Amino acid sequence: MTDTHCPYCSLQCGMTLSRKGPRLEVGVRSQKNKHSPVDEGALCRKGWTAAGLRGSRERLTTPMVRDRATGEWSAATWDEALDLVASKLTDLRENHGADANAVFGGGGLTNEKAYQLGKFARVALGTSQIDYNGRWCMSSAASAGNQAFGVDRGLPFPLADIEKTDVCVLVGSNLAETMPPAARHLDRLRENGGKVVVIDPRLTPTGERADLFLQPVPGTDLPLALGVLHLLDAVGAVDEDYIAERTTGFEDVRRSVAAWWPEMVERVSGVEAAQLRELADLLANAGKVMVLTARGAEQHAQGTDTVLAWLNVTLALGMPGKAYAGYGCLTGQGNGQGGREHGQKADQLPGYRMIDDPAARAHVAAVWGVDPETLPGKGRSAYELLDALGTPEGPKSLLVFGSNIVVSAPNATHITSRLADLDLLVVADMVMSETAALADVVLPVTQWAEETGTMTNLEGRVILRQAAVTPPDGVRSDLEVIAGLATRLEAVSGATRWQTDPEAIFTELRAASKGGKADYSGITYDRIRDEDGVFWPCPEGSGGTPRLFADTFSHPDGRARFVDVEHSGPAEEPSAAYPLHLTTGRVLAQYQSGAQTRRIKDLPDDGIFVELHPLLADRVGAHDGDPVVVRTPRGELKAPARVVTTIRPDTIFVPFHWVGANRLTNDALDPSSRMPEFKVCAAAVSA
Amino acid sequence: MSGEPIVLHEPTPQQKRIVIIGGGMAAARLVEGLVARGLGPQTTVLAEEQHAPYNRILLSAVLEGTHRPGALALREKQWYADRGVDLRLGSLVVDIHRDTKTVELAGRTTVPYDQVVLATGAIPSLPPIRGVVRLDGSMDPRVQAFRSLDDCARLLDAIRGEVVNLSADPGSLSGSQPHPTVRHAVVVGGGLLGLQVARALSVRGIATEIVEGRDHLLNSQVGTTAGKVLKRSMAQLGTQVYLGARATRLTDEGLKLDNGYTLETDLVVLTAGGRPRANLARRAELTVNRGIVVDDQLRSVDDPDVYAIGDCAEHNATVTGFVSPAWEQAGVLAEVLAGNQATYEGHRVVARLRATDLDVCVLGEPENETGEVVEIANPVKGTHRKLVVRDGRIVAGALVGDLSRVGLITQAFDRQTVLGEHEAGQLLLPEPSSTGSSGVPQLPDDAEICACAGVTAGAIRACQSLEDVRDTTRATTGCGGCAPSVRQLLATRQTSPLPKSLRTVEGTPS
Repeated sequence: MTDTHCPYCSLQCGMTLSRKGPRLEVGVRSQKNKHSPVDEGALCRKGWTAAGLRGSRERLTTPMVRDRATGEWSAATWDEALDLVASKLTDLRENHGADANAVFGGGGLTNEKAYQLGKFARVALGTSQIDYNGRWCMSSAASAGNQAFGVDRGLPFPLADIEKTDVCVLVGSNLAETMPPAARHLDRLRENGGKVVVIDPRLTPTGERADLFLQPVPGTDLPLALGVLHLLDAVGAVDEDYIAERTTGFEDVRRSVAAWWPEMVERVSGVEAAQLRELADLLANAGKVMVLTARGAEQHAQGTDTVLAWLNVTLALGMPGKAYAGYGCLTGQGNGQGGREHGQKADQLPGYRMIDDPAARAHVAAVWGVDPETLPGKGRSAYELLDALGTPEGPKSLLVFGSNIVVSAPNATHITSRLADLDLLVVADMVMSETAALADVVLPVTQWAEETGTMTNLEGRVILRQAAVTPPDGVRSDLEVIAGLATRLEAVSGATRWQTDPEAIFTELRAASKGGKADYSGITYDRIRDEDGVFWPCPEGSGGTPRLFADTFSHPDGRARFVDVEHSGPAEEPSAAYPLHLTTGRVLAQYQSGAQTRRIKDLPDDGIFVELHPLLADRVGAHDGDPVVVRTPRGELKAPARVVTTIRPDTIFVPFHWVGANRLTNDALDPSSRMPEFKVCAAAVSA
Repeated sequence: MSGEPIVLHEPTPQQKRIVIIGGGMAAARLVEGLVARGLGPQTTVLAEEQHAPYNRILLSAVLEGTHRPGALALREKQWYADRGVDLRLGSLVVDIHRDTKTVELAGRTTVPYDQVVLATGAIPSLPPIRGVVRLDGSMDPRVQAFRSLDDCARLLDAIRGEVVNLSADPGSLSGSQPHPTVRHAVVVGGGLLGLQVARALSVRGIATEIVEGRDHLLNSQVGTTAGKVLKRSMAQLGTQVYLGARATRLTDEGLKLDNGYTLETDLVVLTAGGRPRANLARRAELTVNRGIVVDDQLRSVDDPDVYAIGDCAEHNATVTGFVSPAWEQAGVLAEVLAGNQATYEGHRVVARLRATDLDVCVLGEPENETGEVVEIANPVKGTHRKLVVRDGRIVAGALVGDLSRVGLITQAFDRQTVLGEHEAGQLLLPEPSSTGSSGVPQLPDDAEICACAGVTAGAIRACQSLEDVRDTTRATTGCGGCAPSVRQLLATRQTSPLPKSLRTVEGTPS
C-alpha cells in the first residue's frame, strides 16, 4: 500500500493505492494516517475511481506519428519519435529563431515537471514562448494577491481554518461539487455557529449549504463588493486602526464606493438591495470574516479587479493576518499553485521570481549553469501564445504537456485553427485527447499512480505523490521526455545534467527557489512525509509557514495595499441578437477537459447539456431533455436542455468538460492577469 | 488603478481649457471621465457648495441615521488636486460671456474657457405658502428645504441638536436624543423625496405628516391604486397623509391647509419638486425650454462650445432629475470632450425609494407609457405590482410593497429583453418556495442521495448501518452533505416501504 494523493483538483486529498491483482485499488489514507487536515480522509467519486485508467485500453503505450498527407497514424519507437521532434525543433530554430518553438504546460503537472519544463524552454530551446493553462485557472487571483499583499499564495491559511471563522463568503465557488470534501469544513463552521454566504448565478449544492445566498447577473461580483464596502463604511464598520497601521490607499477606495449605494448595485447586479444589506449586516457584526473567491469571480476580463474589490472588503474589515479570517483563493487545478511558482509561466522563473528582474535571472542562471544573458525574456501569455501560433510573427511549433487545449481554450474553434497552422504539434499525454488527435507526434506518458513528485495544494502546502506501480511498457514520464529532447538538442548545461529522478530535480528546484517568494529550499521529501506536507515559504531551517501576514505583508513597506477599482462590465453585453448571459463551469463527476474522467467507466458521463430556467424554457419553447441550440458570436452548440429553477432566468449554463462549451466562450482578456472571460458572454438559445 | 505617478502640468496654450459649472454628482462623474482620459490638468470645476462633490441621493439615509455623514464624499479635495483638477469650492458663477469665452464669478473674477459645461442641477420649488418668508425677508426658522448637505445638516441640527461631521473621520452613527423642541413635522410634497424624508423623520421618532396637493402619493410615478396602497402603508407606519390639500399659510398654530385643517408642527420640510437651474443659460441667451436644450452630444443647440448635463439639461424634450441618466450623460460627454465619437440616446429611469419599511420601485413612466398592462394587487397585504409590456418588452412598471424579483425585472427592463407571453405575469407572482428535505423517507429507490459517490436511496435502504453504507456504497465519504438523509433512510428502513401509489404525496395517505 502506497500513500499518495488524488490526481485531480487542488484539494489533493490523501489516498492510498494498493495492488489487487491486475487492478489498482484506492483507499482512504486516514485509516492509516489519522492526520489528514485538508480532506479529513474523504474522497469524492472522482477520487474513488481514479485508478480506472490503469490497464485501460485507452492508454497510449507507444509513440505515434501522424502522416500529414494522409492523416494516418503509425507507431514509432521512442528514439524515432524523439529524433524526429528534436530535428524539427532544431530546424525551426535555425530558420526562424528560438521563439519559433513554444511550450504549453499545465496546472496538473508536478512541481518537478513544471520546473523542468520552464528550464527546458529557456535553456534547451532558448525560447521565451512558454506558458500554461493555469492562466485560465487562478491567474486573476494571483495578480490581485500580488498587488494587494505582495505575494500570491492561494490560501494564506490552512483550509480547515474555515471552521473557526464567523462568516465565510464564497464568491463564485461551487466547492461542494468541484472539491466535495472541502464542503465538510463549511458544515463544521455552521455546526460551530458560523454563517456561510454563497454568491453565484446558480443555486448550486454549495449554495444550498448557505445561510445567505446571493444570485447576481454573471460578471457583477465586482459591483457587489463595492456595494458591500459602501454599506460597511456607511455604518462605520471599517477597522480604522488596522487600516492606519497595516495598509495604504484606503481613502481613494472609500470615496470610490460612495457611488455604489445598494439600489445602484441592485440595478447593475440584479441582487436585491435588501439582500446586499443583509450581507453587509452579517459582515459588520462578525469578529472574523473570510472571503474566498474561485473561478466564478476570477474568470473575467475584470477578474483581477473583481478579486481586488473583495480583497478591499476584507482589508477594510481588518481581516487579513487575523487568525481564522482574511482573503483566499480556492485554486482549481491539482497543482495550480505550484505550477505557477517554478517557471512555466511566461514571465516567471523558479521561486516565484520575475523573469525581468536581473537578480532573479542571475540566481537562476547560476543554478542552471548558464550565462544569465542567454535566458530569454518575457513571453506571451497562454491565450496570446495560442492565438499567435502559425501566424507570421508567432511560433511554428508547440510542445504540449498536461493540457487538452482543444477543449479548454476559449473561442476554441479559432484556437483549433491556430494549432492546424503549426509546422509541428507535439502532445505528451496518457490518452488520445482531442488535442493529441491533432498532433504530428504523440508521446505516451505516465499517469499519477506511476510516478513520484510534489504538488502544492490550494493552501500552499507542498505534498508528495508517490509511485505505487510501474508504468506500462512503452510509457515514459514527462521528465524522461524532457530529458530525452534536451539531450538531443545538445543542451547539456554546465552545472547540471537533465535529471529524470524527481527527488534529484526537487533538490535542484529547492536551490533555484531559494531566496524567492516561494522559497522551497527547506523542504525535502522526507520532511513532507513526516509532517503531512510543508507550507511555503520554507527557507532552510524554517518550519514552513502555514499562516501568512500575521505580522507583515510582503510589500517592501510591510503594508497591504488597497487598490481603487471600478466596474466596467463584461466585454460582451447581451444584445437583441444575443439576449442572454452564458456562463460555464463544472459538474461533480467530471474534471477539467475530461480527458481522464470521461474515459473512466465508473464515472457517469451524461455528456454536455444546457441548463436553463423554466421561465426561459417557456419563452423559447424548450423542454427538459430535448435538444436546444445555443449561439454566441463565436460558435454554436446543440445539446439537451436541463430545465432547472436553480439558475437565473436570464442566464444559461453549459459545463466545459466536453468539446462545445468553449467554442462559445469569449476570448476577451483581463489586462493584468491575461485571464480569458470564460464566465460570461452574450448568447441566444432556441429550441 | 493606482501605481503610476501622476505628472502635473499647467495647460499649455495649445491645450483647451474645460470649465465645469457645478459640483454635484453629474460634475463629479464627468471629472472622473476626464481624468481617465488624461484631461484632468485642463479641467476647472466651479462648485457653489463648500463641500467637495458628495452623493446627494444618500442625504435621506443620513437624515434617517443609516448612513454616516462622513461617508458621503465622492472624492476628496486632495484627489482632485493630485490629478491636476482645479476644484474651486464656494465659487458662485454669475455670468457666462460667450463672446469672450469667459465665466464670471461673484467678485468679478473671470475664468477663461474653451469649452464650458453647465452642470448646475435643479433648484427646489418653493410652494406659495404665506408665512414661510417673514416680513423681514428671512425664512421662518421652522421651514427647511432638503436638497443640499447643508440643508441636511440644518435639519439634523434642528431635530437632534447634532453637529454633522462632514470630514472623512470615522465616528459611528450618532445616538444622541431627539431635540426636545421638535415633536411634530410636516413634509410638503408626496413624491419620492417627500416619502423618504417623512420616513426618516418618523424613524427618528418625530410625529410626521405629509401634505400632497394631488390626489395620490407618487403622483408622477404610479397610478391611483398603487398610491392608495402607499397611503395605507404610510398610515400603518404612523404617518398621516393629506391628499388633494395645499398648505396655504404657516402661523403660530401650525400649517394651515386649504381643506380647513391646521397641522400642529415644529418643522416644515419642503420637498415639492424642483426645476432645472437654467438662469445662467438664459442670461447667456442659450435656448432654454424646461431645461437647457442640448443635442445628442450634450452640446447646446446654440453654441458648439457650451454643454449641459444632469438635472439642468433637456435632451429630446426630456429633463430627468435622476442620477443614473446624469451619469450616463457624463460618460458620453467625457468621450465627446476627449474628441471621441459618442452619442447620448436617452436613458431608462429606474426610481427606487430608499426608506426603511417602504418598498417602491418605478421603471420608466408607467402612467404615461402605452402597452399591455399586467398587474397584480393585494391591498390586504399592501402590495401592487404592475408592468407595462409592449412587443414583449417591459417598457414601464411599478412595484409597490413587494419587491420580489426586482433585480430580474429591472434587468429585463434595462436590456429590453423580449419576454414570452406568460413571462410578465409570472415575474409578478411570488417566487415558488423550494421544497425542503422533509420527504426523504418517501423518496423512490432511484432518487440520488449522495452525489459525490452517486448513490441512490435504494442502495442505502439495502444497507444495515452507517458503516455498511460507507464501506459498500461510499455515500457520506465525499462532501458529507448527505449524512442526515442517509441517517433518515436507515432509521425508516425497518418499517416496510409505503405502497408505491402513496409515495408521491407527502404527508398522510388519504
